[in-house]
Amino acid sequence: MKTTRRQFLALTGAASAARVLRLDAAPAFAQAGPVKLGVLAAKAGVLAPVGESGLRGVTWATERINAGGGILGRKIELVVEEESSPKDTVERFRKLVLQDKVDAVSGGISTGVGLALGPVAEEMKAIWLAWDATTQKGVDETMPKPKYAFRSTDNECEAVMASILTAKNWKGKFRTVAGINPDYSYGRDNWAAFLAIMKKYAIDVQVVSELWPKLGATDFTAHVATLQQAKPDLIFSCFWAGDTPIFMKQAHGAGLTGTTKFVLTTGGGVHESLKRAFTPEGALLGYNSMYFEHPRASALMKEFVRWHQEKFKEWPSYESDHGYFTIAAYKAAVERAAKAAGGKWPSQDAVIQALEGVEVESLSGPRRFREDHIMEATFFQGYTTHKNKHDFVTIDPVEAMGTKQIQKPSGVGLYDWINSWKV
Amino acid sequence: MIARALGAIAVVALLAAPVVIPRYHVTLLLPAFAYSIGLLGLNLLFGTTGLLSFGHALFVALGAYTAAALTTHFHILHLETLLIGAALVAGVVAVPVGLLCVRYVKIYFGMLTLAFGMLFYSFLYKFYTLTGGDEGIRVLRPRLLGQAFAGLDKVEFLIGPFYYYALAVLAMATLLMHRIVRSPFGLGLRAIRENPDKAAYVGVAVRRYRFYAFVIAAVFGAVGGALLAVPTGLADPLLAYWTHSGNLVFMLLLGGFDHFLGPLVGALVFILLQDTVMSLTTYWRFVFGAILAVIVIFFPRGLLGLLAWRREPTA
Amino acid sequence: MLGGAFHAAVLFLVSAGLQLVFGVQKILNLACGSFYALGAYLGVSAVTWALGAGLPAPLFVVVLIAAGLALAVIGPVVERILRTIYDRDESFQLLLTFALVLMFEDVIRFVWGTAPHQLGTVYLVYGQLRIAGSTVPVYNLVVIAAGALIALGMGWLLTRTRFGRIVRATAENREMSEALGVDMHSVYARVFTLGVALGTVGGALVIPATAATSEMGIELIVEAFAVVVIGGLGSMRGAFVGALIVGLLKAGAIAIWPEVEMLAVYVVVVAVLVLRPTGLFARAAA
Repeated sequence: MKTTRRQFLALTGAASAARVLRLDAAPAFAQAGPVKLGVLAAKAGVLAPVGESGLRGVTWATERINAGGGILGRKIELVVEEESSPKDTVERFRKLVLQDKVDAVSGGISTGVGLALGPVAEEMKAIWLAWDATTQKGVDETMPKPKYAFRSTDNECEAVMASILTAKNWKGKFRTVAGINPDYSYGRDNWAAFLAIMKKYAIDVQVVSELWPKLGATDFTAHVATLQQAKPDLIFSCFWAGDTPIFMKQAHGAGLTGTTKFVLTTGGGVHESLKRAFTPEGALLGYNSMYFEHPRASALMKEFVRWHQEKFKEWPSYESDHGYFTIAAYKAAVERAAKAAGGKWPSQDAVIQALEGVEVESLSGPRRFREDHIMEATFFQGYTTHKNKHDFVTIDPVEAMGTKQIQKPSGVGLYDWINSWKV
Repeated sequence: MIARALGAIAVVALLAAPVVIPRYHVTLLLPAFAYSIGLLGLNLLFGTTGLLSFGHALFVALGAYTAAALTTHFHILHLETLLIGAALVAGVVAVPVGLLCVRYVKIYFGMLTLAFGMLFYSFLYKFYTLTGGDEGIRVLRPRLLGQAFAGLDKVEFLIGPFYYYALAVLAMATLLMHRIVRSPFGLGLRAIRENPDKAAYVGVAVRRYRFYAFVIAAVFGAVGGALLAVPTGLADPLLAYWTHSGNLVFMLLLGGFDHFLGPLVGALVFILLQDTVMSLTTYWRFVFGAILAVIVIFFPRGLLGLLAWRREPTA
Repeated sequence: MLGGAFHAAVLFLVSAGLQLVFGVQKILNLACGSFYALGAYLGVSAVTWALGAGLPAPLFVVVLIAAGLALAVIGPVVERILRTIYDRDESFQLLLTFALVLMFEDVIRFVWGTAPHQLGTVYLVYGQLRIAGSTVPVYNLVVIAAGALIALGMGWLLTRTRFGRIVRATAENREMSEALGVDMHSVYARVFTLGVALGTVGGALVIPATAATSEMGIELIVEAFAVVVIGGLGSMRGAFVGALIVGLLKAGAIAIWPEVEMLAVYVVVVAVLVLRPTGLFARAAA
């Protein structure tokens, strides 16, 4: 008995001595318990696949970080709630902050939810790292200088990139255009950006048809018929959900895919459903900020893709990278702030300061938060090809553009910025 | 006797809640109050007059959007003005809608109200320059009786002054509805529910009374909607979707449409239930559907019906 | 025009079941959209499996119809649940079907997940036709024809067969029919199952040309309601004409004034309500 106790005391004494000697403060924080991070993931409705994708990125990031010892020795514990209507999501956010007492909330995709959560995060002094949902209205009107809310890339980035690529590669090759976009803010903003950029590049386009199906519509036979009559050289669409393959399939069935150029700014989000059977080659397809089969993919990306494919039998889409980044950025910010605080666990203000300008290696390459709390990343788009080992299309070659090229800088309006370009 | 005692306990509990129970749960009570007001209106239509509206969310949303437009576009922050504005707008909209809908009864009435609710939803979505479209319109923090309570952050504001304000509005709404239900007009409505033909023989202007009930219900719905939108800070089109109307009816049935206080009990239990179940499983819609089915089949008179109180003359 | 007819066929298939059940049992089945969705999802799974097992492509239609009909087995089960509240106020029946909508939504999510399910281009195996300057997949015409055939079939069933006569008699006057010895439970069960089958087969038939998405059941209800309001509750002819009107109107809006696509249907609903409140073919079954 005595010997054991002495041994025990000797052991603990040795352990404390070792703790003092170690240069990183990791073990000391472990006693403080896990770092709780809240997650708002859409689980039902048209947003569900996107929410699921984001959650997978968050989960993988968390598993990896925890396997490596956590953040400064504290494991991350995720508290997952559902993103649904703005009213219900605000309530879940309040629960995460007030009841579960999470240190930060990651998530949020729909524009309505984004608009509601921003002020709530500021009012509750809770760090919110959004996956998506950044509209001009949300940034300009309601949240000019957020402290706690960190937003994703502007919703129009994909349209800006697609428009620039179209202007550069297809100038002179098309005259008439048609737009088929979901009838809500995202659809309208992207279409408007496309038209503005065509004008900027002095491409004289004639709009022969502008269609506005309801978001989540499942039948486009009438739209396809109208497009057939209008005979556009180019069709622009920012479809991002189940509507994308349905539209392509029905367009193919009507013979449109042989004769028309397609610009699908966000269709890469549902890339696995764009089967080779009905999706033509040579269409401009956007994968937002993550392309799963990039020829120069990092080891990190390859590891994630492998994990994703093994676990879900599916190839990942871009929201996973948004999700991954929020967790990785938070960890990096805490570590940076802790170092500045001399090894102590940082205060929330210190973490916020560290988040501004933080840059991490995300799945698809480096990503950061600007000082004005907007994300900077790289976007990937390209021309579809059937030359791959899947039954769906991929892109080759892959064009990459950073947000410095395709996202407006702080303090400027989108259209003012476009007008200021030198082309 | 027991009823009064329990009622007194409930009132004391509600008054004490902000200091006694955790802050998050206090914020949960706020939508319960707002829904209670809206449901008092819905129950005037259903419990008292026998008309089941599947489009009540239209007026709830209308109230929310009125409050939002007044604060964001017109910079009016006085909550009293917002509530009165919501009531007026709802009353005006309810006139043509009501005139059309009360021509029908039972299923037809339910279907028409559902159609109008979805029409409003599409309108909110479509006329985005006016309504903000899918993004909605923000509801800025209002002033209560002229006070801004600027020193309090939003959460403290919500669980403090706003809580008691909402509770007071609920109390007034309850008293008002009680007077309406007990009045000769209310008696007439109950007669219409029991037997419209007999009521007509006795001299009750059936269609006119139904119309009045519809407008009153709309006004209560909108006041509830305005209060509902303040904690969220946003009015968005989903508030008008038909499944939201369905949830309102669910709440009513849960509490007991037969009993005057059914709406209040239903709103509270539903909110608490939703909060618990949503955190437990991602298939909470299935659980709720099952609960609704069980209630409809086995406990149609709801929770208050279960407790078999001496029936209020609402039935 | 043909695009409008396709959409009309889809709407008719959803609404027919709704009308039949209402006409006879006076139950407005909010879950008709859910049955449609179930048929769609099962259709995709069944055909995908069958094609993988070596089924020759042109026979996929058979598998689809079989999948739709197989799902009709849930008809008697659901009817049994509804039977518990037949003698209650109609509002309760409406609420019970709403409960079913919620439950089915999560069942679909549980079994098939949230991503859209589709059948690729197998539907093009029947080729395409050029009609009036447009290329139309033959399968679309098959769906339109199926809609028309089913409409005719329902008409024949209700007017020419003994079962149909019993159904119509029951719809007219339930007590009298019962007094005359009709087994109400059996009639109700069969009518309801037929209504379910119309929905599930309809969903399965449409799916090759589109995709099965979550919440499709909830969204279809709204359009189905528009159809029955326009056509008149309980009238099969009303479902047919109503679906045609809605389908063509929507196609017309898309072709002429796309901005109003979302509102077109509701405008017509309100117009009908103001001008002819009970719908175009008010009252009675068939």
